[in-house]
Amino acid sequence: MSDDGLRALTGACAKCGTCRTVCTLYPERKAEISVARGKIALVEAALSGRDENAEAMQEALTDCLLCGRCERACPNHVLVEEIIMKGRADAARKAGIPAWKRVLFGGVMPSSGKRDAARGLAAAAQNLLLKKIPTGSGLHYRFPDAFGFSGRTVPKLPEKGFVASLAPGEASAGDVMLFVGCVFDHVFPAVGRASYDSMKASGRAIAVFRDAACCGLPAMVSGDWESARRCAEENVRRLLAAEPERIVFPCGSCLLMFKRNMLALIPEKHPLREDAVRVSNLCGDYASFILETGVVSRLPDPPAEGKAGEICYHDPCHLSGTLGKGSEAREVLRGAVGDAFAEIPGADVCCGYGGTFNVRDYPTSSRIGENRISIAARGGARVVSTACSGCILQLRDMAARTRPSMRVVHIAELVAGALGGR
Amino acid sequence: MNEKAISALRAIFGERLKTSLEDRICYSFDATGKEFLPDAVAYPLTADEVRRTVLLANDHGFPVVPRGAGSGFSGGSLPVHGGVVLSTERMDRILSIDTENLVAVVEPGVVTGTLKEEVKKRGLFYPPDPASLKFCTVGGNLAECAGGMCAVKYGVTRDYVLGLEAVLGTGELVRTGVYTVKGVVGYDLTRMLVGSEGTLGIITKATLRLIPLPESAATILAFFGTSEQGARAVAGMVEERITPCAMELMDRTAVDCVREIASLPIPAGAGCALLIEVDGPAASVAREAGQVEEACRRFGAIEVSRAADSAGRERLWELRRSISPSIRKVNPVKINEDIVVPRSRLAEMFSFLSGLASRRDLKIVNFGHAGDGNIHVNIMISGADEDERRRAEGAVEEVFRKTVELGGTISGEHGVGIAKAPFLEMEVGPLGVSVMRRLKDCFDPNGILNPGKIFLSEPAVRP
Repeated sequence: MSDDGLRALTGACAKCGTCRTVCTLYPERKAEISVARGKIALVEAALSGRDENAEAMQEALTDCLLCGRCERACPNHVLVEEIIMKGRADAARKAGIPAWKRVLFGGVMPSSGKRDAARGLAAAAQNLLLKKIPTGSGLHYRFPDAFGFSGRTVPKLPEKGFVASLAPGEASAGDVMLFVGCVFDHVFPAVGRASYDSMKASGRAIAVFRDAACCGLPAMVSGDWESARRCAEENVRRLLAAEPERIVFPCGSCLLMFKRNMLALIPEKHPLREDAVRVSNLCGDYASFILETGVVSRLPDPPAEGKAGEICYHDPCHLSGTLGKGSEAREVLRGAVGDAFAEIPGADVCCGYGGTFNVRDYPTSSRIGENRISIAARGGARVVSTACSGCILQLRDMAARTRPSMRVVHIAELVAGALGGR
Repeated sequence: MNEKAISALRAIFGERLKTSLEDRICYSFDATGKEFLPDAVAYPLTADEVRRTVLLANDHGFPVVPRGAGSGFSGGSLPVHGGVVLSTERMDRILSIDTENLVAVVEPGVVTGTLKEEVKKRGLFYPPDPASLKFCTVGGNLAECAGGMCAVKYGVTRDYVLGLEAVLGTGELVRTGVYTVKGVVGYDLTRMLVGSEGTLGIITKATLRLIPLPESAATILAFFGTSEQGARAVAGMVEERITPCAMELMDRTAVDCVREIASLPIPAGAGCALLIEVDGPAASVAREAGQVEEACRRFGAIEVSRAADSAGRERLWELRRSISPSIRKVNPVKINEDIVVPRSRLAEMFSFLSGLASRRDLKIVNFGHAGDGNIHVNIMISGADEDERRRAEGAVEEVFRKTVELGGTISGEHGVGIAKAPFLEMEVGPLGVSVMRRLKDCFDPNGILNPGKIFLSEPAVRP
């Protein structure tokens, strides 16, 4: 394994075991290989040449949600996420990346046009092949058992993405740039629309970033840093050309890419480094924008008939945890729905999605996710709100499987509802 | 281990036997930072699986190394001669909490902190509280006889064990001890097994003593000019019959390390901090807290403060907990010792340690459970400098000799493992070692259980 700064990163781990107390996966696996210090020991063994089995390394390092809970709990502040992502990249260079991922990350994700076309194809296919189930968050489809997806459901894909649905010239100029993200553009365009509408209430001119490349997170966590870097470079160039004053993200994972991971993809000495840092500094979360621009104070009073405690908040790991933006979303929620918002126990426990993790081990991913839904329901919630595309994908699937009446929404949908409905 | 042994193990454990290099690497380390690769890792669920493993080991001649959470500081769970690591982490059920008799029965893989939380819900208290309590296991605590902050008042793990079930090195399943408050039938095999580091038997079940949860507590933080002053205050309070439930001391370097990250102001002249907690019924807590404050002032404290509420107490404890990770600022590599001296000799030990640091040109950070006379001596080295490493190794031996000379012990709560094995004879003498070896032969005649621990084949450091 090539060093790439890894030795210094892994050297900080004292193997104390604190990571075992917070790891989302450890209670499922009950094995040291699932927790940070085990994986760090493996990376160390690869670095020193004691273990040269790249496939096994890839397998072990991929079995992680990258929720970052270990990193935040670590008394020595070991940068676990960076170690695991770099380890995956090294293993991917040697063991390879599956062909479907290469096409997706390298070909489809950087281009908004190709993503549009792919969504169209997928929408047609799901109508033909899958079984419909209505849920509180809209129509879902269930894979037939023969597909071997253990009852996985997927949301009905829309005819049109959010960006494609904008009128020509609409949201094309403004010093605040909205980075919608692939999922809120193509899978849940209602979230893109709600983000845009509620941000407009700030009185600022909002421009939607139309020719965005994917944020690159799916590629990066799969070890395909080349494709992720291409996305990051494209985004940095296109964003700077638009000269925004700030860039707002409704999705916590996209934001993490821009605030943190992008700077690992575009390191010192990279020709775009300065530009990337500039872009990164302009980026912020949706809730902070809504708070700082006074949208919340302009909201009408929440209706008195709203049921106390029926809306809870699920903390996206990347947003509340890694980026430390947990209180902002709650403040927005209190403004938008008042007493209908209440905390549930373990709001900051990972939903179990983990992007590619959900694809490679759906049974484990869904066990973790279903637990979040049942804890919310036991706490009296009928709506789970959150602020990350991954969490919404996961929690809507989990609700569709176990409790279809449970709605899973983005906080922007609640804000837009409060603005428009009353 | 040969193929036959592995396939026999697979017949017992099936998928719960792991032999890939990756799985083995993940069980090659503990918190000492040392690594020894096992030949296999197994996750037993029952005492019978443990028993059958040990029987196989006797047939095929491979080592069996029990492991809890691998959070030990002396190498107790390291497979130094290979063999199979038996990880008890999946034997993690609390079998019963008996509120009529104040007894809990648990499997070895129960996390200590989880047990404490569960009994607390019933108004009960399981006192042992090693700093790793959120992840270390009861089985590991029993094997190493772990201590913790509250040992000064409540004692250590061994004081809360009534009985055990364990697999001996012969593969026999033995039940020791009682379920009652007392019992004196025969030798105390329970205590024999506690602290034996998995060399005499593998604990598969434990019957633990619980006590009522203290109703309230108060926390006092006092700053002194020097560690010697702080140590004299500790001995003074002990002499005055004050029994706090925790009495933690931090020396000047430790205080400096947390100074910038602490959320509370630390006075400029502070060269030592004492963190003291008293617990019990509210009325007596108020009285004892007053006595503690008064005593600290009398022994020359430059500042004494008491936390007003539980959030304030938590802030004070945060200060203590942040030491261990933050001392890496001093130097990256930590040589962590765990000596105990009679409390009346603490001040003398601190003078010796500060003299040693300057004489050997080393950075030494001292903190620990001063109420027990237990000091964690941390020699911080760069790791890159060979001469510095040799000076540190010499310093360790000097510390141990001084400890024994003062009537102390070279390991208060971390165990011997491999880290202290060269110094065993220095403390217990040749006859002590010989008696221990004879006991080992009786429990584990073929040397199957956790070989290479406690004893060296040749003692390296004589008395």
